[in-house]
Amino acid sequence: MSGYTETQPLGRTATADGRASPDRSSAANQSHRLANGGLIDRQAPLQFSFDGKSMSGFAGDTLASALVANGVKLVARSFKYHRPRGIMTAGSEEPSALVEMRTGARKEANTRATTQELYDGLVASSQNRWPSLRRDFMAVNSLLSPIFVAGFYYKTFMWPAKFWEKLYEPAIRRAAGLGETAHLPDPDHYDKAWAHCDVLVVGSGATGLSAALAAGRAGARVILCEEDSHIGGRLLSDGGEIDGMPALDWLRRVTDELASLPNVRIMARTAVFGVYDGGDFGALERVNDHVPQPAEHQVRQRLWRIATRRSVVGAGAIERPIVFPGNDRPGVMMAAAVRTYINRFAAMPGKRIAVFTNNDDGWRTVEAVVRAGGEIAAVIDPRGKVPAAYRALADRSGLRVLPGQVVDVKGGVDGVRSITVATGSSTQNIDTDCLAASGGWNPNVALSSFHRGRPTWREDIAAFVPGVSPPGMIMAGAANGDLSLDACLRTGHAAGAMAAAETGAKGKSGNAAKAADEAFAIQPLWQVKAKGKAFVDFQHDVTASDVTLAQREGFESVEHLKRYTTLGMATDQGKNSNVTGLAIMADARGRSIAETGTTIYRPPYAPVAIGALAGHHRDQNFHAWRLTPSHHWAAERGAVFVDTGLWKRAQWFPLAGETDWLQSVKREVLAVRNGVGFCDVSTLGKVDVRGADAGTFLDRVYINGFSKLAVGKARYGLMLREDGIVMDDGTTSRLAEDHYLTTTTTAKAGPVTQHLEFCRQVLWPELDVQLSSATDQWAQFSIAGPRTRDLLINLVDPSEDVSNEGFPFMGVREVMLRGGMKARLFRISFSGEMAFEIAVPARYGEAMARNIMKAGEPFGVVPYGTEALGVMRIEKGHVAGPELNGMTTASDLGLGGMASKKKDFIGRIMAGREALMAPDRQVVVGIKPVDKARRLRSGAHVVPKGAIPGPETDQGYLTSVCFSPVLDHWIALALVERGRERIGEIVRICDPLRNEDYEAEICSPVFYDPEGGRQRA
Amino acid sequence: MPDFTWETQSPLRKALVVGRHGAGTGAAGVTLREVRDIALVQVMARRGQAAATAKAAKKLFGVEPPTSPKAVTAKTATLIWSGADQFLAFAPHSGDEFYAKLADTFAGIASLSDQSDGRCALHISGPRARDAMAKFCALDLHDTVFPVGAAASTAIDHTNASVWRSADEAGEAVYNLLVFTSFSDSLWHMIADAALEYGLDAGHVSAVQ
Repeated sequence: MSGYTETQPLGRTATADGRASPDRSSAANQSHRLANGGLIDRQAPLQFSFDGKSMSGFAGDTLASALVANGVKLVARSFKYHRPRGIMTAGSEEPSALVEMRTGARKEANTRATTQELYDGLVASSQNRWPSLRRDFMAVNSLLSPIFVAGFYYKTFMWPAKFWEKLYEPAIRRAAGLGETAHLPDPDHYDKAWAHCDVLVVGSGATGLSAALAAGRAGARVILCEEDSHIGGRLLSDGGEIDGMPALDWLRRVTDELASLPNVRIMARTAVFGVYDGGDFGALERVNDHVPQPAEHQVRQRLWRIATRRSVVGAGAIERPIVFPGNDRPGVMMAAAVRTYINRFAAMPGKRIAVFTNNDDGWRTVEAVVRAGGEIAAVIDPRGKVPAAYRALADRSGLRVLPGQVVDVKGGVDGVRSITVATGSSTQNIDTDCLAASGGWNPNVALSSFHRGRPTWREDIAAFVPGVSPPGMIMAGAANGDLSLDACLRTGHAAGAMAAAETGAKGKSGNAAKAADEAFAIQPLWQVKAKGKAFVDFQHDVTASDVTLAQREGFESVEHLKRYTTLGMATDQGKNSNVTGLAIMADARGRSIAETGTTIYRPPYAPVAIGALAGHHRDQNFHAWRLTPSHHWAAERGAVFVDTGLWKRAQWFPLAGETDWLQSVKREVLAVRNGVGFCDVSTLGKVDVRGADAGTFLDRVYINGFSKLAVGKARYGLMLREDGIVMDDGTTSRLAEDHYLTTTTTAKAGPVTQHLEFCRQVLWPELDVQLSSATDQWAQFSIAGPRTRDLLINLVDPSEDVSNEGFPFMGVREVMLRGGMKARLFRISFSGEMAFEIAVPARYGEAMARNIMKAGEPFGVVPYGTEALGVMRIEKGHVAGPELNGMTTASDLGLGGMASKKKDFIGRIMAGREALMAPDRQVVVGIKPVDKARRLRSGAHVVPKGAIPGPETDQGYLTSVCFSPVLDHWIALALVERGRERIGEIVRICDPLRNEDYEAEICSPVFYDPEGGRQRA
Repeated sequence: MPDFTWETQSPLRKALVVGRHGAGTGAAGVTLREVRDIALVQVMARRGQAAATAKAAKKLFGVEPPTSPKAVTAKTATLIWSGADQFLAFAPHSGDEFYAKLADTFAGIASLSDQSDGRCALHISGPRARDAMAKFCALDLHDTVFPVGAAASTAIDHTNASVWRSADEAGEAVYNLLVFTSFSDSLWHMIADAALEYGLDAGHVSAVQ
């Protein structure tokens, strides 16, 4: 048997350090604060407000303990029935005392008052009530409760279905629910971090401390996580004696030793919420939830991903309620929570406390109340037989002990006033303002079940214990069903030592600490069968009759029970309600609990804010970005940027006076078509392909051949996926006998590089090929337009010949630029104009842009963006992303003729499948409107003239559209059924999304310079 | 004819604000440096030429290139493992000289890819360097796991990075990062953000002494 010790607790007390007496004024206002004891700092009074009422507490308090100390009973209204609720527990399992914390943008709903540390100036308010907590109009729901039973929504609002979204759901959401969010951007920062260890210990009670010590002494790298602000778990509330010394002294010694071990890291305020594949755990550190707001540069919360080889879970056990009428009234609390408030926080939850327990542990609360000088109204123990030690306590203290059950709780919004106890056939009323109830303890099996390990039933403690835990996890102590202090110390130590040894730690773990082995006897009592609303799930307002109704209506399986009644589906995940609910179901079915089974838990064990999951990645940091080598130069010229994958590319360069994007784009296109312009094309993927077999490798990857390409030449290539669909396109240049440079589209640079590596490493390891991504190495610009050569003559060293003969179309070579810079020059064109691409190492990107401007100044050179680039490629009929859409074949794109018949290549066989060769496939054509003033929009559908638009008549759609400055009307590329056979046909274009319907003509996709003379000039 | 000049620019010319940032005023917890003027060449053994490549490297640098995730420091370069039968040679920039020397050494036995401009080099050091790095790097950087000379190829913010550990004159850990140039602006912001709570000293150094 143990009780709270008489020794000095960890927190300072008025007399402990001989300082001046405590702030009597603030203590005096706290009607339920004990004069001595507790792990609170009476030298540090804190002011706070709840629902606008100013109160005081002390450092070391939680919001809940401060409310208890101030005698506040009513703190919330329940989810469905708006019933008055108080504080039930003292931990993270709290279902009732959910409050709104803070104000303004930092307002946060549904904070458990039991886990919120008190700070000076804390502002909290109750939620789910109107106009006030005391007078809540929605409490009328409670009167309607006969219809708000399990399955109510399913039964009532099934029909008509369309009413659900518009009428029922909004109405129900207004009436039900909990707190309200801030509706403002969160001003705080969050981040995510990795941690690594050999042994992760979850929980810092007797079990966790023993495990951490054993593993740490052995030399393993240990991380000890504790969700509370204080290390110690139940030791902080239950005291006791360990190794012959008061438990709190032992606690201090162990924490000192752990702190002295460099291989042990203690993380308080850190809740482990999940275990994932490969031994990774998720944990949430509430770095600054205990202060009004984080200091500058500090984060509010930090999400940890902990990679560990072994874990020891000493997560303790959670006390479960007994289901009896009125068991949700403010003032009905868990027995161990009452003990915590008295011992840890020096706050007495009632002036006259009744205890209702079916197990020995409830008696420790009786003992705590007596020791603290509180009054016991009665102890109700339905077992009739009370252990001798506690019988002696009762006799010594003159306690009234009743071998019965609580059958009713009377009271108002301010909580319990009296209880009715039935003993045999007689009943009696007992005045009390706090009923401490205990239905036994449920081992905290959550983490053990996250990989679908199903807990098993243990009759002797009437509770589920862990089944098969995730690999590397050892459940220990109370979490494993070992409920006595001595067993926790022993199994924790053994688990820590074993885990450390399994990771190769060689040191000595020493011996386990010892405590007197307390007995734990229990006689299960799940439900008191008496008239009145008796709650099972307090957060979701699920009653015992909901459970039996579910059984009567056939929802007998535990999984059905959960979903039909919403039992255990609130944010507390049924930590203190699940087992009770299924025990009542087992009883209703006339089966054992073991036969009925249990649901299992899923992560997260504790709520995790989305902000913590996002971490750094929000707003402008939502995802990483890539900048081109000329980015800052373009930004300084006022370029408008567009996100292209991760890249930020210049979309157009507006000039002063231009008000419309189309105006800028038209100007840029005409400047290129009539003069010269340039564009940063560094984003195209570039892969160096080297080795003796580089040509053979490319022959197999592309549908056309490359091994016979001459050194100093470039060629357009098309590659297929294994299934015969086009994967990507681009030009490949042969820079040397054993060196090709392949380019990919911007979007596919990553996937194509991966594909090539796969081919190299897996498909043809026998080839001598080496690949390297060179995308970021080069700043590459396309210079295009009839004056390109004039510009180049100004740019290249006079010794270089860039004439049509000296540098023909599709030629490639290294050239010397004026000022002594080497560059690669490629004569390739995407715009249809005479064009070159010029590449220099990326560090010269801005210098290159400036020098092109300088060299082209006499010819009116302009920088152009991706919009003008797109317009010119559509005018020229080049396919791009909208046509290479993962559904088109080479033939669909009009490129079927490129496929070599002399060699094999990836996708060749599959491209020959019947459906991919069908004559009625949709193929790329051009579209021009009959009414030249008509604007085209991509996505519009093509149907035959005179047909009624619909799925049966649909023949394709517009893939790429633009306004063509040279033709002075809108044009489009489209995928159209049998399109190439229908040049000249007038079709109907329908756009039901934008309500447009007009006629257009199918034409060649090449709108500009179909002979190609300009690019070869 | 106008004069053409070819100034270089750092990809961090906007992101990098030299000086003391973030929390505190004393010595910064994290020192972050861009290393400018680097030469970097990827050396990939030709098929069946791994041994010959290693031998040639030994002759040129005086050390064998690593065959597992390690970084080996030689007098003129650091050789960093970058995959099976390949490594990165990292050195001060010297115009075309470094690449030319390697091209000569490895002619016929290894393919080269110049990455001098394709990567941006960073140094992260200081008493809180590891705490800051834990926010964006999944590697276990503990002394026993990632000592001086350890190297890894890892993902940082969805892009590839090479990481290796060296030491400064005082023997304190310096974490070397090579990241893709186009990502460096983004990554710099993220790394700086991770370091602000510890105090950040940002700057740049030249690889050329």
